[in-house]
Amino acid sequence: MPKRFKRRGDGVVVALPAAEIEILRSIPAQLGEVLSESPDTDDPVFRRLFPTAYLDPTQEVAEREWQDLVHPELLRQRLAALELVTQTLERGVEKRGSIEVVLTPEEVEAWLGVINDARLALGTRLGVTEDLDEREIDPSEPDAGAHTLYAWLTWMEGELVETLLG
Amino acid sequence: MKPARLSVAPLEVEEPDLEEVVVTERPWIVIVWNDPVNLMSYVVYVLQKLFGYSRQKATRLMLQVHHEGKAAVSEGTREKAEADVARLHAHGLWATMEHPS
Repeated sequence: MPKRFKRRGDGVVVALPAAEIEILRSIPAQLGEVLSESPDTDDPVFRRLFPTAYLDPTQEVAEREWQDLVHPELLRQRLAALELVTQTLERGVEKRGSIEVVLTPEEVEAWLGVINDARLALGTRLGVTEDLDEREIDPSEPDAGAHTLYAWLTWMEGELVETLLG
Repeated sequence: MKPARLSVAPLEVEEPDLEEVVVTERPWIVIVWNDPVNLMSYVVYVLQKLFGYSRQKATRLMLQVHHEGKAAVSEGTREKAEADVARLHAHGLWATMEHPS
């Protein structure tokens, strides 16, 4: 399998089969929906993406103040990353049977953030555990498609981080 | 120059309460918790990026999170800890802050 990510200067060149570009293109809409839920929601996916800062229940006031201060900015950053990833996918160029996208360092961070957020969202919804990889997914399971997507995102993120860590 | 003598009455010096001084200066600790989703390599990458840690230090902290369930990754004033927690959350790590007593 050809390498999906290659360093070029400060940035990264991505080369993906068209089908994988399409999968990535579908992620921002799904993630955007969860991200934009009301901060009072008890959706575990939302709670995983925006956890509390204080464990100590006596710090309830500090927690609320911190959330009020920080949440809009964390949300803005995440939505901006979704937007940036969508933009980069628009400018892919076909090369040797793959779609190639050249990413600046800022765009690379957006890709990494969106892929990781998508894994957090999917992993929370599926209730994954650390040794899930050991388990074979039965293709007739209702969540089989989501497990396959999760496994693919995990592999993609691993490749991207390896490229960045050099 | 000699400081002017303001009072002839014996000065009542308030003894600083050492206990309290220590308490107020004790730093807040930022903890990263283990979770089943984040990749080990990704955690190393984020710790290096956010805190400027060496690969070795970031890897040691990541392994501590992995094996012990959590690790203290930074410390400082309440404001610094709040900012660090926000940056860790922005990168999808599960982080909290606490003031050890």
